[in-house]
Amino acid sequence: MINYFTLLPSLIVVLLMSQTSVLATKTVADDLGESESPIDIMGTVADHDYFTFFGTKLYLPRIFLWKDANGKTQFSTYKSTKKALASGEFEQIDHVIKPVNGSILVDFSLTSHLIYFWFGLGALALYIVFAGSRYKKGIGTSSAPKGALQNLFEVFFEFVRDEIAKPNIEGENYKKYLPYLFTMFMSITFMNVFGLLPWAATATADITVTAILALFTFFITQFSGTKDHWQHVFWYPGVPLGVKFLMIPVELIGLFTKPFALAIRLFANMMSGKIMIIAILGLIFIFNDMYGSVAAYSVSILSVAMTSILYVLKLLVALLQAYIFTLLSAVFIGMAAEEHEHDHEHYDHIHAEQSV
Amino acid sequence: MLYLIAGGGLLSFNTGFAIWIAISLIVFLLIMTKYAMPPIMAALEGRETRIRESLEAAEVALAKAEAISKDNDKALREAEQTAHQIRKEAKEEAERIRTERIAKAKDEAEKIIEQAKFDITQEKQSALIALRQEVARLAIKSASLIIDAELDEEKNKKLVNNYIDDLSKN
Repeated sequence: MINYFTLLPSLIVVLLMSQTSVLATKTVADDLGESESPIDIMGTVADHDYFTFFGTKLYLPRIFLWKDANGKTQFSTYKSTKKALASGEFEQIDHVIKPVNGSILVDFSLTSHLIYFWFGLGALALYIVFAGSRYKKGIGTSSAPKGALQNLFEVFFEFVRDEIAKPNIEGENYKKYLPYLFTMFMSITFMNVFGLLPWAATATADITVTAILALFTFFITQFSGTKDHWQHVFWYPGVPLGVKFLMIPVELIGLFTKPFALAIRLFANMMSGKIMIIAILGLIFIFNDMYGSVAAYSVSILSVAMTSILYVLKLLVALLQAYIFTLLSAVFIGMAAEEHEHDHEHYDHIHAEQSV
Repeated sequence: MLYLIAGGGLLSFNTGFAIWIAISLIVFLLIMTKYAMPPIMAALEGRETRIRESLEAAEVALAKAEAISKDNDKALREAEQTAHQIRKEAKEEAERIRTERIAKAKDEAEKIIEQAKFDITQEKQSALIALRQEVARLAIKSASLIIDAELDEEKNKKLVNNYIDDLSKN
């Protein structure tokens, strides 16, 4: 353990150095362009048409479903943005790619966030295959689990099962939702942690990704809804008739605010951490621009120290947000899948938990 | 600055991207729920069940062993008690037999002595009778001899004495 803890600061320093170099090159590039600011926060946190792989930019294919000038729907794929532009059918105006004539219907282009989303799922898949093969061999079933990876897997798995699924989903029902909850927890964790790498993109710092994740929770919640659940929505029990009608829109809105809050919470947490780090490190370049290199060097001490602290915090947040997302998913599913008579104390308790 | 891929800002929802994410997630979840997770869940659950069961079995076995040991103690104590009892009884029996034997021996000895005494008296009696008869016969014989030898007192005396001497010699 001591080894890991002594390694951690040096690791952070290495990561930060590479981060600053990324920022520095970006600054140079932006200075050449029309941008006045020495750092480009939005450009760093937003989705890209490339991803960095060992220092080289790999451009991703562009796939468009678009309508040409004649109103005909077309499906075109290009190896990269450059190729798309070179084809002459597309042009770039204000960083937005558009057909020269016509309009884009759906942009299926692969992006850095999608690649990191796949990395997250892929890492989880590898991890599960690894663990599965171990259990198949009998390690961990007839004998004790072996090695840090398998033990860590069990820690995560049993955490999701015993702390998230079991307490919130009643009876043996939790087994049905455990694969989903475990996938959510682990893939969000992987995506968050990958996002800590300076050259990587955080897939969870994208509202589209978190919205889809929340949407899955929403659909699973509604599809596992019992009669009880729908009665709560459309005919709230235990209140006067007038209030029942009043409760219908309230509960209907409630159905959608839950996943909405899930999506926004995860997105905002991951995005804010990223923006904070870039902004704090960007201070160095801003100071360099405004007051010269001496000021930049002195600010860098503070900036790097604060970023180190933020990195530790972000590691915590990465796990915490995955936990919160999964926990609330379990709570919503458990609430909808509840079979027994209304236990209002329990219901209130869950409402209180939602405000996390 | 190619971040505005779908023409939106930071908060824009990109439909094509969303479709990719949804499809990947659906495929992944299907594989997870169908193939990847059930064996792992079963393996871990099986292990937990086995551990719980073996713990319970161990507890039962321990309780059994304790009961057996208690039984053994009890049996041992009972056996000791029985042995003690048997020893005590044997001792008492031996004592009883001993005193009985002694009493019997005493009785027998007394009987023998009695018999002997009786026999002696008998013998004495008969001896006395025989002696009396003999003395009478001798007296008669000596008397007849005296009578035969006339009335020589000196001679008679001598005769009688001789006879008695003879008698005592016999």
